[in-house]
Amino acid sequence: MTTKTPGRTGLTRYTVGLPIVLVLLLAATQADFRSPQNLLNFSGQIGALLIVALGQLFVTLVAGIDLSVGSVMSLASAIAATQAHPLAAVALATALGVAVGAANGLGVALAGVHPLVMTLSTATFLQGLAYVVLPIPGGAIAPALGAAATGQVAGIPAPLLWCAAAALAASLVLRRTRFGAHLFAVGGHPRSAYLNGVRVQAVVVGAYVWCSVAAAWAGLFLAARVSAGDPALGASYALESVAAVALGGVQLTGGVGSVAGVVAGVLSLGLMTNGLNLFGVSPFMRGVLTGALLLAAVSLQRRRIVGM
Amino acid sequence: MSRTVLYRAASFVLALPPAYLGTAVLLASAAALRPNLLSPFLLLLILRQAAPLGFAAIGQSLVMRCRSLDLSSGGVIAVVSYLLTSGVMPLPWPLALPLCVLFGALVGAFNGFLIVRVRASAVIVTLAVSMILSGTVIALSQFHAVGDAPEILREMGRARVAGVPLVPVLWIAALVPTALLLRRSAFGRVLDAVGANPRAAGLSGLPHLRVVFIAHVVSGVMSALSGLMLLGFVGVGNVKLGADLALNALAASILGGINFGSGRGGMLGPAVAAFMLVFLFNFLTSLGLGEPGKLMLQGTLIGAAALAYCLRHKDAAH
Repeated sequence: MTTKTPGRTGLTRYTVGLPIVLVLLLAATQADFRSPQNLLNFSGQIGALLIVALGQLFVTLVAGIDLSVGSVMSLASAIAATQAHPLAAVALATALGVAVGAANGLGVALAGVHPLVMTLSTATFLQGLAYVVLPIPGGAIAPALGAAATGQVAGIPAPLLWCAAAALAASLVLRRTRFGAHLFAVGGHPRSAYLNGVRVQAVVVGAYVWCSVAAAWAGLFLAARVSAGDPALGASYALESVAAVALGGVQLTGGVGSVAGVVAGVLSLGLMTNGLNLFGVSPFMRGVLTGALLLAAVSLQRRRIVGM
Repeated sequence: MSRTVLYRAASFVLALPPAYLGTAVLLASAAALRPNLLSPFLLLLILRQAAPLGFAAIGQSLVMRCRSLDLSSGGVIAVVSYLLTSGVMPLPWPLALPLCVLFGALVGAFNGFLIVRVRASAVIVTLAVSMILSGTVIALSQFHAVGDAPEILREMGRARVAGVPLVPVLWIAALVPTALLLRRSAFGRVLDAVGANPRAAGLSGLPHLRVVFIAHVVSGVMSALSGLMLLGFVGVGNVKLGADLALNALAASILGGINFGSGRGGMLGPAVAAFMLVFLFNFLTSLGLGEPGKLMLQGTLIGAAALAYCLRHKDAAH
């Protein structure tokens, strides 16, 4: 085989090509897709997924997986719906993210619990807590939060700006900081990273904290968009963020992934949902198509390792 | 002298998978707080209720031993439930039930093929297969509403052999041969070798890929079987029937002492853990905790058990 190896970004022509093909297909066949209103809706629809998937990227880079992001989103939205002051909501949600991330990270890095089990147990706990904080969907979101998530700045819709900010922040951290370089080092080979002086456990904890904080903010964003809290708001996002990350060429075995890939993966998932709506296909087929896309995507990225 | 014996006994108990100690603690707290949960009648019912999870845990622990994972049982069970309850497959049960098991085997073979031949990530492959299967069932349910489960399955759920429900007997009947297979057969040896070090197993000329493939086929069959049992208990078809089974089976396997690829742990550990989890759900319900409190305690207890076990073995390794 003489195919070029994608290196540590995991970007291949398929990961980048898929959203482009989908955009061209939709733009050519559906006039509605090109309308500014649809583009505005679209950026709002994918915003939360993009923010949480960029968090998931950090965890997958160190060969982890975080199934608790969905519950963190739900709990953050429940918190937002019970706080009158917007800053209190943001501060509490951020604190929640830090606490959950630290718990997950310490369990995985210090105790050596498998990430699937560790984050599954925190996900179960937090889901219960979300029902305690807000038993039924509802509550009131502070108007300032709603404006921040749905308004416009200089004619540019706010969701688009949040997406750009999230991608930029993740990209800067991964490319320009020591923490970013260490994430790749730990994911590539934890033992050699350790021998070269990287504090492996601290890096892993940092990745989980980043991921949980991103999930908490994604929950705030989503709650602000629908202007209500919902204790089951994020239920589907745990697996969906993993799917988006995998579609973007990120390897679950660690050390391979990029912000551009995750953006491409989220765009692919979002465009598919949007396209299905426009084509009038039953929304129930969405899971089927997502699954098929995922299978195709992972089948095209041949690895050396068998298993996980 | 007696102190060393005590010490040895204590360290033996502590070295066991968390499921054993957890079950003992749970039974003791039930004896103190809800003694009627410990009546033989209820214990047997809980054992019966734990059987589907037990079957799923057999399959899950097999694939985990060779460093793989199977998250597809939700999808397999959705299809099995649809095939048997919607009337799309008008066959007598002696044909229909084996076809469902065969379907499970085929899904397992498909997973195994993609994981072994295409070298795709097991998490993603089995997740995607589950999404495709349950999505298809949900889409099709618009045309064929799900109905009652076949009488034979409901009969099997109720049947008793000498006072003991049939389903736990079947569970034990499945456990014994798989445990023997792991202990005594060449397959078990190769499985452990692959789990301990896949590269070394491959370089030594062991059929390391075939073992992973077979483990996935067995896991698919186990998913289908637990789907049949769940269907018998519930009595009517339901798309969400086995939705959380895969992750619970994963938790049961870990609490039962299975670790990704260490070759540790047998067949009894996950079975005890499956009983422990289902007993825990019942115990928490009997305490009158609402859904939130139940979820919180459940998460805490599973996390605490996994933490305690892993911390101890980390100490032992150093």
